[in-house]
Amino acid sequence: MTETNNKSCCTPTSMDNLTNFLNTKIFISESKCTGCGLCGDICPFGLPQPTNNGKFDIKNPELCTECSACQRNCPAQAIILQEQKGCGCLWDARQRLKNPNNTCNCG
Amino acid sequence: MAVVYMKKLEEEPDTYDEKFTTLTKGINREIQEWILRKIKSGNSILEIGCGTGSLAAKMAILGNNVVAIDKNPQMIDFAMKDFPDEDNLQLLYQIGSFSDYFVTEGSKDVIVNTFMLSELRPFEQQAFLRYAWKTLKQDGRLLIGAEFVPSGFWKLPFKIRRWRFKKKIRRLKLRSTHLVRWFFNYLNPIGFKINTIKQWKHGSIKALELIKINKNQNNEPGFYQPNPRNFRNFYSQLRIYRCIFTGQTDHVPIEPGIYQSGNPTKNSPIIVTANYEFTYYKVMRDLEGIDAWVLCLDSDGINVLCAARGNNFGNAQLLEAINASGITNLTEQKTLILPQLSAGGISIPELPKKSQNFPFKVVYGPIWSKYLPEYIKDRPVRKPDYMKIAKFNIFHRIRAGITHTTFLFRKIFLIPIFALLILFMLIGRLNQIWWIGEISLNIIITNFLISILFPLSNFTRKFIYKGIFFGLMNIIILGGIGWIIHNSIIYILWHLGFYFWISYFSTMSFSGYSMATSPREIQAEYPVFRPTNLTLIVIVFVLLLIIIVFKPINFI
Repeated sequence: MTETNNKSCCTPTSMDNLTNFLNTKIFISESKCTGCGLCGDICPFGLPQPTNNGKFDIKNPELCTECSACQRNCPAQAIILQEQKGCGCLWDARQRLKNPNNTCNCG
Repeated sequence: MAVVYMKKLEEEPDTYDEKFTTLTKGINREIQEWILRKIKSGNSILEIGCGTGSLAAKMAILGNNVVAIDKNPQMIDFAMKDFPDEDNLQLLYQIGSFSDYFVTEGSKDVIVNTFMLSELRPFEQQAFLRYAWKTLKQDGRLLIGAEFVPSGFWKLPFKIRRWRFKKKIRRLKLRSTHLVRWFFNYLNPIGFKINTIKQWKHGSIKALELIKINKNQNNEPGFYQPNPRNFRNFYSQLRIYRCIFTGQTDHVPIEPGIYQSGNPTKNSPIIVTANYEFTYYKVMRDLEGIDAWVLCLDSDGINVLCAARGNNFGNAQLLEAINASGITNLTEQKTLILPQLSAGGISIPELPKKSQNFPFKVVYGPIWSKYLPEYIKDRPVRKPDYMKIAKFNIFHRIRAGITHTTFLFRKIFLIPIFALLILFMLIGRLNQIWWIGEISLNIIITNFLISILFPLSNFTRKFIYKGIFFGLMNIIILGGIGWIIHNSIIYILWHLGFYFWISYFSTMSFSGYSMATSPREIQAEYPVFRPTNLTLIVIVFVLLLIIIVFKPINFI
């Protein structure tokens, strides 16, 4: 069951470097994006928005909750996101501080 | 009951049998003897989950042809070392489980399985039964020994013991086994009839002899469809309240499987959702008047969002539900409508990779189930904003406030409140017990204020700042009221400490409800939150002692 969270298009280390280097949580690679709009349709905050050239772009990456919905469903693997395990709740954070593999037990 | 410990025992094969016998008080031995009496000799037997091979060896010595599989290599290793020292034994140990070990269909007289059901999830139990059905010859027998939930009066002591064991298991950080709850429902639809049942300990351990029946003459096992649940009656309303009151901590599963809304036909839409009881009632109520198939996958009784984030609503569960529910036999519909919030766990591009001929196209429906009717009718290519944007509006916040308040009372304040009550009785201040009531009331009011006024703190994303903001607000509002009522300096100090802390703590704990918190942010805040929280608790505790010892004027 845990394997679904681990998979991503690139290795975790290279993702780390890229997102850290760009100092952003998430971005859409313009060259890979096909403009299908799935990400804009499933993001609960409507972050990916269409741009003038028919592709999608994230204007406010700081609002991203790293839920990974867009990244794991993007058919072109155009979304670069360093997924953080866990949910946004305090009890999860508490458990993970003890041991990174713990969860809040509600998920 | 002891079965909860099985996972622990399995780590040490050499002592497994002995310890397991102690745990079940020898009933596992009795079950083995019962099984040996039932099979006699000359049968072709498959034992699934053979463990240390103690039963398999005995069956082989009786003159049966035994293939015994277990998915734990250590166990098979141990069984091989312990191979009985007799000639012409037909006994084969293999590593494998029913989901991957291939046996020619219709080739076995008997399938034996002891104490494994509790390790299988509901869908896996159904898959296991179908595997057994296919592997057995006509009129073949399935012998099962397992822990069940007793019926009638004995259910209560069983549940209490189970609850205690579970707490222990959680402390030891072990994965617990599952409760075998609905197993008997599956037998007839899949194609078994019960021949004999033997019970131990008031039915908490049972041994079953099941006989394969060919129900529909097409030589295929059937599929199980759970009974429809009434979603409009008083009971369902009570269950909804139960979920709201215990939301933060309890898993409330219903049977996973296919449910029907209205009278769906072969072309009706398929709605996929979680098997959290609240979710089920909500979806069914919202779908009322529409013909649709509702596929509840096994998310372990957790809502869609939390399950998706926590690996309980992912590709694995979706594929399991599609295979085990037999939905492809019921409908020609080729589109699955998933909840939008499950996108954090499902990965559409990976689905065809995991299953060779994945027959469905998957789309994400609206974020709230109340828009399902509109979504099904219009099937918009692009969802309008109201169908996809997560809001944390006043109704969500009030529900979150209720859930959080009950959580605080159940998990955090229950013991302190009782301790205070007993302390007050011991020191003979019965006339001041109302004060404990006041504290409880203030906890409720604090949570109510936070849930109503939460948007006021939107100036920051940091929950620590939000907590300080609401803490200060609480001091002004509740502290002001307290000053008017009690008019005492020491008491005001208690207000400053306690009201600030309860507000600070509750706001932090609210982070999980808002949907807009990222794990990275909250994990970064936690190391700051922890020491400040502990400091505040110490301050509150000291103030409490001062109040109890010095009896401030006007308060006493």
